[in-house]
Amino acid sequence: MLVSPALLIVTFVVFIPVIEAILMSFQNYDLRRPNDIGFIGLGNFIAIINDPQFWQAVKNTLIWVIAGVGLQFFFGFILALLLNQPFRGRGVVRAVSLIPWATPGVLIGLMWKWIYDGNYGVLNDLMYKLHFIDQFIPFLSQTSTAFPSVIVTIIWQGIPFFAIMILAGLQGISQEMYEAADIDGASRMQKLFRITIPSLKNVIFITLLLRIIWVSNSVDIIYNMTGGGPSYSTQTLSVYIFNKATVLNLGYSSGMAIILMLLLSIVAIPYLRKSFKEG
Amino acid sequence: MKKLFGLLLLLILSVGLVACSSKEVSNSGDGDADTGTDTPSSSDSSDTADSGEDGATITYWYWADNTEYSNKMQEIIKEFNETNDKGITVVGEEYPWDGGGYSETLFTAAMGGGGPDVSSFKLTSTPQFVANGLLANLDNFIADWDDKGDINDNLYNVMKQASGSENIYVMPWNTQILYVYYRPSIFEEADVEVPTTYEEFLTAIEKTTLDRNDDGRTDVYGFGMRGAKGGQEPWGSFIHGRGGSFEDMTTEESIAGMKDFVNLYEQGYVPPTATTDGFNEIIANFKSGRTAMTIHHTGSSAEMVETFGDDVSAFAFPPGEGQWTSMGDTENVIFESSKNKEAAFEWVSYLATGKGQEEWTIATGNVPVSKKVQALDHFQNDRFMKASIDGASYAGILPILDTTTEWINTIWPNTIASSLMGDITPEEAMNTLQEELYK
Repeated sequence: MLVSPALLIVTFVVFIPVIEAILMSFQNYDLRRPNDIGFIGLGNFIAIINDPQFWQAVKNTLIWVIAGVGLQFFFGFILALLLNQPFRGRGVVRAVSLIPWATPGVLIGLMWKWIYDGNYGVLNDLMYKLHFIDQFIPFLSQTSTAFPSVIVTIIWQGIPFFAIMILAGLQGISQEMYEAADIDGASRMQKLFRITIPSLKNVIFITLLLRIIWVSNSVDIIYNMTGGGPSYSTQTLSVYIFNKATVLNLGYSSGMAIILMLLLSIVAIPYLRKSFKEG
Repeated sequence: MKKLFGLLLLLILSVGLVACSSKEVSNSGDGDADTGTDTPSSSDSSDTADSGEDGATITYWYWADNTEYSNKMQEIIKEFNETNDKGITVVGEEYPWDGGGYSETLFTAAMGGGGPDVSSFKLTSTPQFVANGLLANLDNFIADWDDKGDINDNLYNVMKQASGSENIYVMPWNTQILYVYYRPSIFEEADVEVPTTYEEFLTAIEKTTLDRNDDGRTDVYGFGMRGAKGGQEPWGSFIHGRGGSFEDMTTEESIAGMKDFVNLYEQGYVPPTATTDGFNEIIANFKSGRTAMTIHHTGSSAEMVETFGDDVSAFAFPPGEGQWTSMGDTENVIFESSKNKEAAFEWVSYLATGKGQEEWTIATGNVPVSKKVQALDHFQNDRFMKASIDGASYAGILPILDTTTEWINTIWPNTIASSLMGDITPEEAMNTLQEELYK
């Protein structure tokens, strides 16, 4: 009885929308053509598989997640190791390093859009004044630079999350292990690979899984910086779903959302199994 | 004990839900207070309708581009509420335009049964709203309307064309006809006259692209090209300039226009950011002196004059093999769900030909649809309005199909970007644009 309100909320907020999306994915549910709405079986999925934009979006999503999350983890790990060292003003540095994570994605998108601006952006201005370039670079306006630019932005946003999670893990490692390693004459790298990383295994696993799911689903930064363009070069699967949904082709976008959900399940299932085991 | 606690929790939740419902009603009341009018809440309007439309309250959704326009609309509403002889009260509710998100919000609200009686509207949304039976048919209202002849018949035809039927669902309000802004001082520096033909226009773009100190870096680009969504409107002028059309974008003429467009980018006569430049960028580039020309409507004229004084002027897009400019539009619609349609028509007709028309178009700089308002000195003596009026005879709209929104939002910008950057040829780009618009 006590859990019934929670169950009700979960049912209404999670299960019903998911079931609705699944049902919609089997329908020609395009509100621009309301008279044609009806069951079409696997029609949406067949159309999706034959859609070149979908495959480009899948490819972009893979690059987005692998490069984005991978580098967030790499730099977050280094930052955590630095922040774990005692130094003057460490508290302040820790607080400041959280700012990107605490900033809303929409704001980050707008801020970096202006940083990268090809006419007035501070990055171009700086590089021009330092004589690194002789013409401003339209970072977000050409396919060769647009996607790397938005990936740098998501990396900037995600580093603090990894840093804080790993820092919390680092503080849970017993100092006695490092002292024992010192007595045995272990090098810094040996301590890193034999003590630190194995001790952080669980933290790294959970953090990576969560972040992969979040980054895969993220729309706000890309949408505000490029809208998926130019020439679809920054359109990930979630942005493509959003773009299709906003033109009211709900059946098609639901179909893609179901495919994305299935792809993410590959990542989410180990997480859920681990959570249940621990629970 | 557990059961008792559970029941208590459910009771609290129920009370909470009731409280929320009550708050919605009182919020509506608060909204009325904001308009400075003593009106009942919008939820009361249906009750009013049951007892006759005199004294009816109607809700009106609109967007305003800035606070000045927002205040002006509230003034117009207040004036209407105080002066109309039928005791009609309009409750204005402002929503952000949000790059077109307004139309989506309106559609969602109307489909959910929570929309207004009347709303500001864009023609491109007409098929979607009509297909879902959301808009009231205005044929009979207009047929019986004394001011019917004050609006050009061509506009009524455009409204019919938008609905894809012989019925009018959309009430004209004001238009924004695109023209070319230019900087006379840059024209003088480049020794260029105001172009009178399409070819001269292309030459002017080339000549006004300036490297003032010969450092190899372009200081002024001839034209502020808009490659992001919304750019299909100025782009359409290039396509028609070579004799092409939207009906068949795969003809030699249409492709020739596209080649001109791509050539401007490839030759460096437009900023390299053009592939993603939207409204804000083209205006910022023009106002900062980075571009010599750009295309927009009178909505920008006040800020242009504020920036440049007399060093900004305008000309209508010049003729080539063909001639076309985009007629932006803002209309009003009455919703089928409204129980006060007659009162609603009083309000939209006040905006179309009444005092509301004059005040709104003067404040916003938009082109009036009312002939008697167009004849006012204010509109006859303005150089930007003159460029608008010069373009009125060949102004048009994109074909409004159920594919148009997606075509504008994603297909056009991405296809054009691909073509500008050389990933696809102009022919391939035009084939894609044709297929996607008419699929």
